[in-house]
Amino acid sequence: MKLQNLGVIFIIIILPISMILNAYVGNQVKTLSLQASYDTKLNNATYDALKAFQLNTINSDTSDLANSKLRDIEASANTFFNSIASNFNMVGYNRDILADYVPALVYTMYDGYYIYSPYTNTLDNTNSNDIENPITGAIEMGPSDAQILNPDNPEAVDATYKEGDKLSGVKPYIFYSCRYIRGSDDFVITYSLDNYITIQGVINNGWVNDAGYLLDNIGTDGSTYRGITIDSDISNMASEQVYVPGATGENPREYPYIRLNGVKYYYDKESKSWFSIMNGEKYKQDNFEPKTTVARQYYKEAKEFTERVRNEYKLFDLNGMDAVDENGVKLGEKLGNYTIFTDSNNSIEDSNSNFNQQRLAVIRYSIEKNLSIAIANYNNGGNYDFQMPVLKENEWDKILNHVSIISFLQGLSIGGKIYNGHSIITNNKNQEVVNEESIYILTKDGRYHRANDRDIADDSVVEGIFNIDLERKSYTKDDGEYYFFPKYALNGGCYNCIVRQTSVDETENFYQYMAGKGNGKLAQAYFTALGRERYGMYKTYNNPDRVKEEWYKH
Amino acid sequence: MGDTLITVVVIALVAVLMFVFPLMTMSDRTDDVSQLTVETATTEFVDNARTTGKLTMDNYGKYVENISSTGNAYDVEMEVKVLDENPGKKTTQTQSKKIGENVYYSMYTSQIMDQLETNGVLTLKEGDIISVSAKNKTSTLSQQLKNFFYSVAGNDTYSIAAEHAGIVTANGVGK
Repeated sequence: MKLQNLGVIFIIIILPISMILNAYVGNQVKTLSLQASYDTKLNNATYDALKAFQLNTINSDTSDLANSKLRDIEASANTFFNSIASNFNMVGYNRDILADYVPALVYTMYDGYYIYSPYTNTLDNTNSNDIENPITGAIEMGPSDAQILNPDNPEAVDATYKEGDKLSGVKPYIFYSCRYIRGSDDFVITYSLDNYITIQGVINNGWVNDAGYLLDNIGTDGSTYRGITIDSDISNMASEQVYVPGATGENPREYPYIRLNGVKYYYDKESKSWFSIMNGEKYKQDNFEPKTTVARQYYKEAKEFTERVRNEYKLFDLNGMDAVDENGVKLGEKLGNYTIFTDSNNSIEDSNSNFNQQRLAVIRYSIEKNLSIAIANYNNGGNYDFQMPVLKENEWDKILNHVSIISFLQGLSIGGKIYNGHSIITNNKNQEVVNEESIYILTKDGRYHRANDRDIADDSVVEGIFNIDLERKSYTKDDGEYYFFPKYALNGGCYNCIVRQTSVDETENFYQYMAGKGNGKLAQAYFTALGRERYGMYKTYNNPDRVKEEWYKH
Repeated sequence: MGDTLITVVVIALVAVLMFVFPLMTMSDRTDDVSQLTVETATTEFVDNARTTGKLTMDNYGKYVENISSTGNAYDVEMEVKVLDENPGKKTTQTQSKKIGENVYYSMYTSQIMDQLETNGVLTLKEGDIISVSAKNKTSTLSQQLKNFFYSVAGNDTYSIAAEHAGIVTANGVGK
C-alpha cells in the first residue's frame, strides 16, 4: 500500500477517535467543575442559613423556647432557599424547582435536632360540623366552616392545603436519646452537646425522671472543682449594658446580672430591686434573692446528680451493650462495649472518656438513622432515587460537637451525572450551647482574650465572659431601631488572640489546658464562668417551680 | 524527481500526522485533566479551611502533593483577608448601626507560610476571607509542543490555573 493511502487510513481512524475523546474529556471536565461550583453554592447557601439563625437567636430573648426556635428555623430555612435560588438563578432554576431537590435540611441543636424536609400533607376529613345520625349512630359529613361562611360557594374548604399536597416543613424535634434495657430496668437517656443528660424510665422498679450535668473532681458542696475554689461571693456579678423599656435617663445602662434558665435577672443598685426583660417589657422580680452564685450551684448540683446516677440509680456499670432500638431489640456492639459512667482512666467530662464516646455514638446513630429515613422516604416523583450520602469522619466531628446545619442537594443533572452534594456548616456563636471555647477571659486592662491565649498573665485575670454577650444587640424605640454592645464598658478584644488569632495555643481539652497553666486564677475564672453560663442556659427539663424554690424568698 | 519530492513531502506530512498530532492531542487532554485535578484540589483545600476555620500545614502539604501529582510544578499563592473587627468594642471608625463597613487586612503567601511553619496552623475566624490560586510554573508538554510549532511568545504564559476563594464560616479551634 502506498504511503499516502496509509496516511489517509490513519486520519480516518484517528480523527474521529480523537474528536470523540476530546468531547468526552471536555464533558467530564465540565461536569466536575460544575460539581465543584454547585458544592460552593450549597456551602454558601448553608452559611447564609446559619447566619440567619445566629442573628435571629442573638437578638431574641425567647430563642431558646421551642415555638420561638421553630420560627427561627423556618426563617433560616427560608434564607437557605432564597440564597440557593439566587445563587442558581443564573442557570435557570428558581426557588420552587430547587425545593424539590433538597431532600432535607438538618438543624442540630443542644439536645436534639430538627429535620426540615418535604412531606405529604394528610388532611383528616372529619370536622367539628360533622353530625351523628340519631338513628344509625353513624357520623355523617357536615358542611365545612368555609361552606357555612360562604353559602354561595359549595366548593369552599377549610384548610389551605389539601390531602396529598407536597409541602416542606420542620418535622418534630428528635432528641439525641437512646433506650437501655438491663434486667428490669428500662429507661431512656437523652444526651446533649455537652455533659448534660436526662434520664427517664424505670430504674430499680421505680420511675425516674431526672436531669443534670455529669462532672467528676468536685469537692464537697461544690465549693471546689479540680482543686480550684469556685467563686461564691454573690456580689461578684457580671454586668452589661441593657436597654430598659420605659426607663428615663441614660439608656441603655449598665446593670449587674445573673442568668437563670435562659433569663437574665438584672440588679438595680439604686432601688435595690431585681428585674428581667422579656419581649421588650420590663418585669419586676420582687422576691428574687440569690443565696449563692450560679457557678457554685452548678457544681453542687452536678456533684449531686453524678452521685445519684452512679449510686442511687446504680448506673455505674451500665454498658453500651445494654442499648436497644425503639422496638427493644439489642443493638449489640453498635454503640460500643464499655461501662458508660465509670472510666478508670478519664474524668467523665474529658473528651476521651467512655461517657463522651457513648454520647457521640448515640448522637451519630440517631442522626444517621432518622436522616436516612427522611431522605429515603422523599421521592419527588422523578426518576432519581434520593439516598443519604456517606458522611466522612471529620464531618461527623464537626456535627457532634457544635450546633450545625447539614444541607443536602440531590438530583440536579450536571451533564454526565446527577449531582449529589451535601454541606455542613457549624457554628459556635449562638444561644444554644456553651462550648468550652465559648468562654473568653477578661483581664485587668479591660480587654478580653480567648481562654487559650498564651499571653494571659495569671494575676491579670478578672473574670470569664460568654462570647455571645459580646455580640451587638438591637432594641426598638418609637423612632426606629438602635444597636448597642452589651459589653460596652470593656476596651475590646485582645488583638492577637481575637482578631489575628496568632497567640492562641492549640488545645482540644480545656480541662488539661487549665491544669497545664497551673490551675491558678485563669482556671478559676474560666471554670466559674463555664459553670455559670452552663447553669444559666434554658433547659427543657428545668422546672420553673424549682427555680422559684431555689432562687426566690419565701 | 517530482515523485521523490512528493514522497518526501508526504513522509513529512505523515510523520506530523502520525506522531505529532496524536502527541499534541494527548498532551492537551493531559493538561485538561491536570487542570481539573488542580481545580478540584484548590476548591477542596479552600472549602476545608472555610468550614473548619483552620489552615493547617498538614492540609497544605496534602494540597501541594495533590497538585504536584499532575507532573508539573506550581506557584501557589494564598491570601487571607483578616476581618479587622473587634466585637464589643467602642467603635470609632465603623458605625455600630451599619453593616458591611468592615475593614480587612491581608496576609499573603509568605506571611501565611511563616505562620504555618512555626505553628503548623493558621487559625481563622468567622468573617475572614481566604483565597488560593495555583498556576503551573514549569511548562507542560503541550505548551512545549505548541511553543515549538507555533512559537507562542512569552515565557510566563501558563496553561493550568485554578483559583478559589470564600468567606470563612466557623471560628477555628482545637487541632
